[in-house]
Amino acid sequence: MRRINWLGLAFLSPALVMVTLFFLLPVVLTGFFAFTNMSTATGVMGGDYLLNTSTLRALADQGLPKETLAKLEAGGYRVDEAGLAALAAATSPATADELAQLHAGAEFSDRRDMERALKDLRANAIRNTRDRKAATELFKRSILNERFSEEAAFRAALSETGTRPELSDQITEAAFTGWVWTTDNVKLLFALPSTLRYAANTLLYVTLTLAFNVGFGLFLAITTFYLPKGQGALFRAIWFLPRILPPVLYVLMWRWFTWDTGFLSTVSGYLGMSPKNWMLDTSYHAWTAVVLINGFVGASMGMIIFSSAIRAIPTSMLHASEVDGASRWQQVRWIIVPQLAWPILFITCYQTLSLLTSFEYILLATDGGPGRSTEVWSLAAYHTALSNYGGNLEYGLGASFALVLVVIGIGASLIYFRLFNFKRLITKPLIEG
Amino acid sequence: MQLDLINFTKRFGDTTVIENMSLSVHSGEMIALLGPSGCGKSTTLFAICGIHRIDEGQLMFGGKDVAHLPSQARNVGVVFQNYALYPHMTVAENIVFPLKVQKMNRTDREAMVRKYAELVRIDALLDRRPAQLSGGQQQRVALARALVRQPDFLLLDEPLANLDAKLRLEMRSEIRRLQQETGLTAILVTHDQVEAMSMCDRIALMNGGRIVQYDTPTAMYERPETAFVAGFLGNPPISFLSGSGLGLSEAQVAQYGVRPESFGPQFGSTLSGRVTFVETQGREDLFDVRLTTGEILRSIQPAGSGIRLADTVNWGVAHDKLLRFDQNGQRI
Ligand SMILES: Nc1ncnc2c1ncn2[C@@H]1O[C@H](COP(=O)(O)OP(=O)(O)OP(=O)(O)O)[C@@H](O)[C@H]1O
Ligand SMILES: [Mg+2]
Repeated sequence: MRRINWLGLAFLSPALVMVTLFFLLPVVLTGFFAFTNMSTATGVMGGDYLLNTSTLRALADQGLPKETLAKLEAGGYRVDEAGLAALAAATSPATADELAQLHAGAEFSDRRDMERALKDLRANAIRNTRDRKAATELFKRSILNERFSEEAAFRAALSETGTRPELSDQITEAAFTGWVWTTDNVKLLFALPSTLRYAANTLLYVTLTLAFNVGFGLFLAITTFYLPKGQGALFRAIWFLPRILPPVLYVLMWRWFTWDTGFLSTVSGYLGMSPKNWMLDTSYHAWTAVVLINGFVGASMGMIIFSSAIRAIPTSMLHASEVDGASRWQQVRWIIVPQLAWPILFITCYQTLSLLTSFEYILLATDGGPGRSTEVWSLAAYHTALSNYGGNLEYGLGASFALVLVVIGIGASLIYFRLFNFKRLITKPLIEG
Repeated sequence: MQLDLINFTKRFGDTTVIENMSLSVHSGEMIALLGPSGCGKSTTLFAICGIHRIDEGQLMFGGKDVAHLPSQARNVGVVFQNYALYPHMTVAENIVFPLKVQKMNRTDREAMVRKYAELVRIDALLDRRPAQLSGGQQQRVALARALVRQPDFLLLDEPLANLDAKLRLEMRSEIRRLQQETGLTAILVTHDQVEAMSMCDRIALMNGGRIVQYDTPTAMYERPETAFVAGFLGNPPISFLSGSGLGLSEAQVAQYGVRPESFGPQFGSTLSGRVTFVETQGREDLFDVRLTTGEILRSIQPAGSGIRLADTVNWGVAHDKLLRFDQNGQRI
């Protein structure tokens, strides 16, 4: 018993690894990223502590007292090891030594005091004004624009500026350049007007493409069923081609078809119309293209499933309906389509899920354009997180887009699961004794 | 309505399944297409209802050639071997289907469904689906569906093959009753001779794609035209043996056929043999007797004779019931 269990587990383990690595992990990571403010600016690893003018502006917005801000901004001068070493390199070791003897550890709050200290050196006074100014800068010790990799060091430097201790937490938080946990993404998602737009686009995209997919797939399955065997198989094979064509090539064909120097423009040119980009000139055209591009690919899947379902209908049943007087159309309407109810439902459910998350054909065809008129939810997630015009990739916000899809997907899957188990229940035959 | 199939030939690709077959069914008659598996019974039936194209020959319904008409235009009711009920429809919807496609109005339709459901005694099951019915009930639904359109002909393809022995007996008389009540012309396809003989007015016995004899059951049993017919009909089957076993020698006769009921103690004691097989069937006992020539004769006797395996018996045959066949198997 025990041995069998281990064997089973061993056989299962590659699948478990795959599931964990390629299905579970992305979902977990999405959930994780969605509640951070990760972006190109924060990076995905740790971060430093840095106060710069924009941080100060943000702190001012947060209502930090003016005097504290002034303190942070001002800073002072200190004769320390680092400064002396820099001075030795810039001038001469002797200069640095003398300054160390006179003022080691001294602090000046005013630049002029620091300059005077350098000017008043007995043996190595720096007379040249420009050199002296440069040397003064070497001792400037302001917290502003200084990068600390440790929080403790930053806090130490902060207290040296004389900032009140009760404000240091707030300042430290603002100074951190790495990512932090936050629920702002979700709030932002519901606040942005574009979110609604993406949701509406997605609804439109899924509904139209699904209708086309299922309708056209059904049409192909039924018409090829009535063709002689060889011809039917040939037609199905032809309609299957888009699916096995590489997406990039397939969409490229469409783009060529609709370019302003492409097929449509050339043909319409003969009719006296001026050439235009038929795919991107209006949002109606863009939507038509998006639905057709996805629809033709999706229809082939429905066609295959429906075809085999039709062929699973016993021929005697079709014969019976013919003998009963049913015409072709009546046969399709009353005998074939009702028996495809479950395959149709299955395809609908399955395609809904895959359409919700798929954006590759839209990305390749319109990239969400013109404007943002064909930008669907998953494409928005991609653009936000991975391909942003602004250059600042907002991983966190993108992940929260994706998280919504994950939640919808899991919910829908659970519902479908119930639905298809339910099917097994109700079709269980009840033979009467 | 009279049905005539004239010089009918059916081919599947290169193989000829039915060749030059002719068959007439009189109005109101029920005939059986009887024959071994693969002899072309279903093919003939499907040609009559239009599922198979007729390659050569004519099919006349009441004197009108319908060979070129599609099945939708032929007005025949068919009961398929597996019933072919529509699983997604209720019993009522199944029965009403032929009327629905004719676009008959709803009230007439419902009246017809009730009438035929009562006729086949399933009026209590109208809301069920086929999967919720027993085999016998499904069969009745199929019958009602075939009858409801008031067809010119009723075709039944092995309608009893899927039923258990008791139900089969019940449905046999049921189908016959329906056919006689409705006065329909019917063709029953079967490979069960008992079914054919008990249900039908005439039997067309088929073999290898042709009809070897077409006659009433009694005539066919008593006067089979060939040895094949004699051998096919009768249960327990007829025994064939040479003249020497019977102590007979007639010119031209290649073999004699002796039915089990024509061999026994009541016909004399001229033949001696050993009992090699005994089967008790309750009311009757069945014996195999090996003659001195080594040939075997079958006998059926009332139960309680006390004869046991390996006994030696001296029995005789009814000479007036002997069937004589020549080298080609034709009866003389
Ligand atoms: N579609 C077909 N293509 C080729 N040969 C066929 C086809 N249908 C039937 N046949 C052949 O025709 C012959 C007669 O078939 P048919 O179905 O009429 O037999 P049957 O008498 O009904 O037998 P059974 O009692 O087993 O149903 C068989 O040899 C069968 O193999
Ligand atoms: Mg058959």
